Amino acid sequence: MNLQLAKQQWQPIAASTDLIPRHVFHAQLFGRELAVWRADDGHVNAWENRCLHRGVRLSIGINDGRELVCQYHGWRYANRTAGCTYIPAHPADAPARTICNNQYPVIEKDGLIWSCMADDQPEYSSTGFLSGEKLVLRSIPVNATVDVLLEQLTDHADNRDNINLQSTNPHATHVSLSINDQHDNHQIDFFLQPVDSHRTVIRAILSGVQSNTNESDKLHNLYRYNTTLTEIRELAENEMQRLETPEPWEVVIKPVSELLAHMPEASNRANGLLRVKVASTDNTATAIKSLELVSIEDQLPTFHAGAHIDVHLPNGLIRQYSLTNAPGQTDRYIIGVKRESHSSGGSSYIHDSLKIDDVIAISAPRNNFPLRRDAVKTILIAGGIGITPLLSMATAMHHSAQPFQLHYFVQGEDHQAFSEVLSRFETSLIVHTALDPAETQSRLNEILQDYQDAHHVYVCGPGPMLDATRSIAEKNHWPDNSVHFEYFKNTQTQDDTVPFTVSLARSGLTLQVPSGRTLLEVLRENNVDLPSSCEQGACGTCRVAVTAGEPLHQDVYLSHTEQQRGDCMMTCVSRAKTDSLTLDI
Amino acid sequence: MQAKHTLITLYDYELSGNCYKVRLLLSMLNIEYTSQTVEFYPAQQHKTSWFKSINPLGTLPVLVDDDLTLKDSAAILVYLASRYDKSENWYPAGDAATLAKVTEWLAFADSITGSASQARLAEGFFYQLDAEACRASAHQLFRILDEHLWFAEQQNQPWLVSGAEPTIADIACFPYVILSEEGSIMRQDYPAIRRWTDRIKRIPGFTVMPGVFPAGPAQTT
Amino acid sequence: MSSTCTNLCDDLVILNQWHAIAAIEDTSSAPSHTRLLGEQLTYCIVDETVRVCRSDADTLPLPVTCAYGYIWTCLGTPLPLFELPEYLESDRTNVCAASIGVRVSAPRAVENFLDMGHFPYVHTGILGEQPHTEVREYDVEVTEDTNEVIATRCRFYQPQAAAGAEGGMLVEYVYRVPHPYCSVLYKSCPDDESRMDVIALFVQPMDEINVRAHALVSVIDKNSAPIAIRMFQQTIFGQDKPILENQLPKKLPLDPRAETPIRADKSAIVYRRWLSKQGIRYGVIPAAA
Repeated sequence: MNLQLAKQQWQPIAASTDLIPRHVFHAQLFGRELAVWRADDGHVNAWENRCLHRGVRLSIGINDGRELVCQYHGWRYANRTAGCTYIPAHPADAPARTICNNQYPVIEKDGLIWSCMADDQPEYSSTGFLSGEKLVLRSIPVNATVDVLLEQLTDHADNRDNINLQSTNPHATHVSLSINDQHDNHQIDFFLQPVDSHRTVIRAILSGVQSNTNESDKLHNLYRYNTTLTEIRELAENEMQRLETPEPWEVVIKPVSELLAHMPEASNRANGLLRVKVASTDNTATAIKSLELVSIEDQLPTFHAGAHIDVHLPNGLIRQYSLTNAPGQTDRYIIGVKRESHSSGGSSYIHDSLKIDDVIAISAPRNNFPLRRDAVKTILIAGGIGITPLLSMATAMHHSAQPFQLHYFVQGEDHQAFSEVLSRFETSLIVHTALDPAETQSRLNEILQDYQDAHHVYVCGPGPMLDATRSIAEKNHWPDNSVHFEYFKNTQTQDDTVPFTVSLARSGLTLQVPSGRTLLEVLRENNVDLPSSCEQGACGTCRVAVTAGEPLHQDVYLSHTEQQRGDCMMTCVSRAKTDSLTLDI
Repeated sequence: MQAKHTLITLYDYELSGNCYKVRLLLSMLNIEYTSQTVEFYPAQQHKTSWFKSINPLGTLPVLVDDDLTLKDSAAILVYLASRYDKSENWYPAGDAATLAKVTEWLAFADSITGSASQARLAEGFFYQLDAEACRASAHQLFRILDEHLWFAEQQNQPWLVSGAEPTIADIACFPYVILSEEGSIMRQDYPAIRRWTDRIKRIPGFTVMPGVFPAGPAQTT
Repeated sequence: MSSTCTNLCDDLVILNQWHAIAAIEDTSSAPSHTRLLGEQLTYCIVDETVRVCRSDADTLPLPVTCAYGYIWTCLGTPLPLFELPEYLESDRTNVCAASIGVRVSAPRAVENFLDMGHFPYVHTGILGEQPHTEVREYDVEVTEDTNEVIATRCRFYQPQAAAGAEGGMLVEYVYRVPHPYCSVLYKSCPDDESRMDVIALFVQPMDEINVRAHALVSVIDKNSAPIAIRMFQQTIFGQDKPILENQLPKKLPLDPRAETPIRADKSAIVYRRWLSKQGIRYGVIPAAA
């Protein structure tokens, strides 16, 4: 039989009941192996059964309810997007966003899980079942071709008076039989799942079952047809003994993109805007509003705890906000926005004008504040609205049962945002309310007392608090690379008076940066494309590598050690101490 | 108070599925013991006169508890559960039908050992055995096991023997099922078996051995 | 379903290599059987002489060399076997630690041996432990004189670096790949800072996708009993086995776009290129020209 037509159709790959929580089902269709798993939100994923890294089967991996974890190196892939959210070997890097497993379309209908290997899938159309209840029979894997099984099924119908062959579809992987005996008037629809050239799974749905049938009668039917199908299997497998076993179908696995084939440095490049809809808003605390954003087109991209997005507001302003939800949650982004007392139109627009169902544009997530998950101890310190990226980190660690402490400094109880999420952290959450600066400092000093190897602290909040935290950490002998911080904005005084020359090693250009202009502007004018986000030296997106010359750092993103090393800089605010710089772009 | 007796000794080989059965139950019952390694492969220490003086059959595992020496994994499971499991769930001696069912599965476990374990010895440890025939028998058994477990699931029964808690029947059948792929016996065609092995991995006290991966956390509601 | 591969090897680079087939100490005068590059072999030791020949015909005996505790043979014209000078140092304990069958290609097995990132996940509590998962920067090169892949300055957190040691520490490793199917690991020795323990992996390609993995352990620690060393190595191999057997495809793909390397995989990338450059085809999927 020509299965090419069948390949264009939806084929069953599992029964709904096969996909119990926290389990990975091992499916196969037309020779291609699939790892099929249901996340805690009910979504069913059908992925290539192969980790992109070294080809290990994901069907032996761990379904943690939100992510699928590979057994070999602990790579994590997110529900829905199949995007890689974490690579443990490089805990300080956010994975390149484009590392994404191959996914196959999936539909859950009539008690079965269906997939389709065609590039353009037809609409799924349900079979004409008899009315009443439907029973999904136990699937029977058979070591036989679809052809041999079909023959056995039709023979079975032909040899019995009470069974009539109703139809087979033109692709002949679907057979419908009607069964009439003294009590029942049933229909069985068989779907022959072509697993491999000589392996087939019989999946069957019994319809016309009276809806008041009790459990023991249902069970009786399940047993009865299981016996029949087992007999058919035996006949088919005996028949196969006489035939030559065909070669297994060859499966071509899609190569990874050219970009991923090379050993990458962590990449945070993002391009293109996504359109999202405001699904809900919540006044989560005094002057803080949370927004739930859902995609109106495609699946939202995978992100990593600590990521932020640019929000393009209808009034033309662009603002950066951290994602507060955890990476495994891929059906929405949740951000928290504080109304700034001196708003220049960003936060006030969101608070006053943005409504539910409004559509706005956002950038793909970028992560310049990534969470390492290889810490022995993780301390998160939030000041006010600085809770937002730390909430994502805390949720991620809470999900994977990693220990952490979240210290949340707020002005008063009514300033505490996201209380419902925070309450889940129980004793891991410590709220510090209404402290003055001196009290805050002494509290921070207590928190940062005992540095040990592989301890990490993450801090986000107002500038003075970050400055204090960093200097207290330094006094307590925290090494620079264990102190991670994200400023909302850069309040340092900027000096843009001195002109300098830049040479671009890879592009072969030499450019002059005059006083009053930024390096980023000059690069853009000369068609050197560079991602950027906050454009004030706070977010880290426009970082480039410096190979010669000494940069004049004016950002608040790089740590002191990184600044002293002088091998990278933020093009949006930083300039040169020397007459010229050479950049690795 | 009971007199403190000497620690249980298990004559053990880490890669043996039969020894793993005993280690699993010891761990699940939280019983302390010492392990005495007997190098089954390649040194064949179990065939030495030293070991045969402990077990004339020359088989592993052997368990010594005070004066008692036991030499069959099923016998050891029965003993440990009867003696040390206060809940009486692991070996429910009170009910004749249940007890008979447990015993039935213990015999089934021996058939799995006779087929799936043999295929594994041929593939991984180069025993001169008819691996193809062993695989065919194992697949016959796995079909029966999968069918049993599927119908058990339909009736909300998670374990081999009906009841809310696992029994030594599950422990006896688990090791050579989970190690079967080392003998090229794939479990792709046995979805109910795959789910059952996940459940076993989530029993408190579960431990792994080389060849067995841990499960992730169960869903909490 | 078992898949053995019956194709004979026509890859001259591999045919002309010595391949380890069995530990000398496990071999007796009774003939034993094994497979190499798809061919059935019979071997034995009679009067202190090792004999290896093809099983199917009374052909001439195959070349034999005994080295590093193992019997090596060759189906082509043998090139000299690589040097492992540590084996001869008088204060070392040399142990043939394991010979385990694995359904995978030889290069996949070697690549796994070079990999540190899997320690916390596959050898949990022994060679690594979460959350210490970071693979630090290290150096890899192909030596000009001996044409070997060498990875140096490799460091990885090990939970219990030495018997009785409290807490974990960073352990330093050096890896050598002196033979397409063999790799040698040098590991900082807990007893003597100036010396390194040696663990060598000799992969016997039974066919393209089935191997026997042989291990030689050479340690300075006089206190480790050989049986403890053997059990340790069997545990490690036993843990790697199900991972390797679940790799798809079984042959090592040399096309850079077949898989997704990260910085931690530097040694694997260099190893794959090195295999490509030698034109090796057996056990690999060559990159399209």
